[in-house]
Amino acid sequence: MNKRKKILIPLILVFMIVPVYLYAAKGVLSDDAQMCLGCHSNKDMTKQLENKEILSLFINGDRFADSIHNATGCGGCHTDISMENHPQVQKVKSKKEYSANNSKTCAMCHMEDQLKQKPMHGYLVTKAKSISCSECHGAHYIKSIKEWKGGLNEPQYCLACHKYDLSMPLSSGELLHLSVNESAMKASVHGKLSCGACHMEFSKTDHPMRTFKNKKEYTATAMKACTICHTDAQLRKNPAHSALMAKASCVECHGSHAIKGISAQKATAPETQYCLSCHKSKLSMTMKNGESLSIYVDEAGLKKSAHRSLQCANCHIGFTKSAHPVRSFKSTRDYSLFSISNVCKKCHANASTQYEGSIHYSLLNSGNPKAPACADCHGGAHSVASVKNNKSIGLTSCNKCHGDMNSSYEVSIHGKAWGKGNQTAPICSSCHNAHNIESTKMTTKIKDGCLKCHKDTEKVHNKWLSNPPITLPSFARTHFDVASCAACHSPMAGRVIYLSLYDRKTGKPLPEEDLLKALETDSNGLMTKIDTNADGSMDAKEVWDLFAQLYKKDVTTTFMGKMDVSKATEAHMISGKAEATKDCEKCHHPQAEFFKDVFIVLKKADGKPTVLNAKKEVLNSIYTILPARKFYALGSTNIKLFDILFIVALIGGIAVPIGHITLRIITSPLRSMRKMGKGGKK
Amino acid sequence: MKKIYLHPLPIRIWHWVNALGFIILILTGAQIRFGNVIHLFSFETAVDIHSWTGFILIANYCIWLFYYLVTGNIKIYIPPLHHPIEFAKKAVTQAKFYGLGIMVGDQNPHHSTFDHKFNPMQQVSYLMIMAALIPVQIITGLFLWDPNLFGPIVNLIGGIQIADMIHVLLFIFFSAFIIVHFYLATLGHTPMAHIIAMFTGYEEEHEEHGHGREEEHGHSQGH
Repeated sequence: MNKRKKILIPLILVFMIVPVYLYAAKGVLSDDAQMCLGCHSNKDMTKQLENKEILSLFINGDRFADSIHNATGCGGCHTDISMENHPQVQKVKSKKEYSANNSKTCAMCHMEDQLKQKPMHGYLVTKAKSISCSECHGAHYIKSIKEWKGGLNEPQYCLACHKYDLSMPLSSGELLHLSVNESAMKASVHGKLSCGACHMEFSKTDHPMRTFKNKKEYTATAMKACTICHTDAQLRKNPAHSALMAKASCVECHGSHAIKGISAQKATAPETQYCLSCHKSKLSMTMKNGESLSIYVDEAGLKKSAHRSLQCANCHIGFTKSAHPVRSFKSTRDYSLFSISNVCKKCHANASTQYEGSIHYSLLNSGNPKAPACADCHGGAHSVASVKNNKSIGLTSCNKCHGDMNSSYEVSIHGKAWGKGNQTAPICSSCHNAHNIESTKMTTKIKDGCLKCHKDTEKVHNKWLSNPPITLPSFARTHFDVASCAACHSPMAGRVIYLSLYDRKTGKPLPEEDLLKALETDSNGLMTKIDTNADGSMDAKEVWDLFAQLYKKDVTTTFMGKMDVSKATEAHMISGKAEATKDCEKCHHPQAEFFKDVFIVLKKADGKPTVLNAKKEVLNSIYTILPARKFYALGSTNIKLFDILFIVALIGGIAVPIGHITLRIITSPLRSMRKMGKGGKK
Repeated sequence: MKKIYLHPLPIRIWHWVNALGFIILILTGAQIRFGNVIHLFSFETAVDIHSWTGFILIANYCIWLFYYLVTGNIKIYIPPLHHPIEFAKKAVTQAKFYGLGIMVGDQNPHHSTFDHKFNPMQQVSYLMIMAALIPVQIITGLFLWDPNLFGPIVNLIGGIQIADMIHVLLFIFFSAFIIVHFYLATLGHTPMAHIIAMFTGYEEEHEEHGHGREEEHGHSQGH
């Protein structure tokens, strides 16, 4: 019994006295704490940190006295401070560092096992070390978790941690940011909602650990919350929005915690920003043929582009903050054609018109999916670089398709100069033009590109192109009209003659459609129709027959001749002028080396040339005088029939005197007799 | 024998410059055209000589034209179109002479004087040559000399190949003509009579042809 009393009495004392003591101790500060507060109760007491932040050293004594750590006193946590050495100069870089250092003392009482009891808290303590204890829990006014939770509403509780720059790594390697801007959230249309209204699995008492493969999976999960309030019918009311829902999640356009009301967003956001709210996401649009067209706009690229000062609606006619028509196109090509005519041309009328006459447009128009439209060369409509500042666009964009030309360009005198950083050195667009690019076999315009830089070309050529008594600049132009610059200035190149079929009425290459229509055939039957002897090569009679057939159908044509290099790559291997061909007889000779290979060139519907073999005789036949009446080279386009006529005329010229003399010799006895008769009479 | 003054000095100079020029043009033209078989000059030299000579002959033609227009003697090239039948008969007579009469010892039906230098056949052919063929040859030659300079006009006639065709056909004609012309020049009363006359200006004529001519034309001189 005594033994039992001995145990009970202390227990009763403990259960009665300790609570009373504790109650009495609550709100009572220890002596050392009161001593510290002697100074730290001063509200103006601050310390400037190395990063210039101001750290308040003020402690509210009453609130500290109410905290769960009041009995611990100041020294319980500030173990490095004693009255003997305080105050002492302590260098602190930032509030963040100060908080992290002081939070280390928490682990003195709060063991790791305790901190890991809640998995999410364990993650924050052990892995997400970006925040320290005091950042979430505070320092001097900490209350028990239960009391703390009871005193905060849900958003406040959540923001205790999520106001900091927290992030969560995903399996894909992406980083999912978990921070929430408190003020933006409060100002949002959802400002009055509690966090759990959307983050339904989360509450002040429950914080599950989740893992996601990637952001897409996360947003797909998160947007389920949106549909709780926003019904499908409401969301699909606007057709554009309805279409968009299949491509993008809610948060990609509307954001998450700082969502504004649609009307407020429209009223306050600049047009570009309003559009970008959706189009900054990697959206795409499906064409009728199944092709995908990216409608993503790189905001950073847009800000640097030549179009940065434009509003979206300047180009996208019909689209405003209040209107978003739903459009559909057969294909990306169809969209490109639409854009050239309806968007780019609005401001760039000249360039667009020139482009519409180019081989690129013909290819695009004929359905070639690789044919370039404006954006393909200019770096995308929303990241268009200013050509003035970026001349290289005339080289790099061409190389996307014509990369095989680049190697020959690089070894040329022009390519070497460009490679050395000479910005005035010619690149593709300098000679081929930027927009009105034509098939090189069908044009002589490329020389204009050369003449842009080589301004004294006529004078230079007339130093050796002799045409006495006075060699005029036009004499040099006579040669430039029919010979490409590369034909003489690419010494390693092979040279050929191209006879391109032109429509005399338009002055342009005769389109294949017109040719086929006049010949009453199709592409497959063309060769049968014009190469009548089916030897795979056009002879003079066949050229005449083609010309005559077209003439009968009121299609007046002419074959424009041009001497050029045999391969496109050779055209770019321009050398120095010392190596250029200056031998006249390479062209002006009945057996001229450069006139041995002749080709007939027809323009296909897509702008590309059809090159047909031709016999050399087409340059020397009576049949081709009319069809190729504008092409002539002294000595090498001689009409053979005239040569024969010359021989006949010479023979005839000599035969007349010989014949006459012969007759006179034969008849001389007659004359002698008559003379004698006359003499006799005398 | 009488000497009739036929060729004034400017015309004699014009003629021989023209003759030499024609030969040079034919030779250099042949070199340009038949570079594979004729090797008299290089292509460049042939073109240079051809161009220089061409311009000299253009100037020469202008001298000829100027002289005949100023003196009014251009009429010697103009057939008497107001007497076409008579002219045609004379032409036939002249042709008969060259084809037959000359063989049997007939006298030349035409008797040249200063104002009546050409027989009907010469008159027609020289008029055609001087008024049409040479100007056309000059113009087409200029087109070929610098096709770009004359581009718009060249296009009017159909193109440079057409200009070349005309130039070459005339070149062929003149090549044959000059041979025949030279032969005909030997058909005077002596083989050298016409040729010497083109140097001296005076043509010798038999007495039987000279009766009354000097009175009629006033330019013949009796010797």
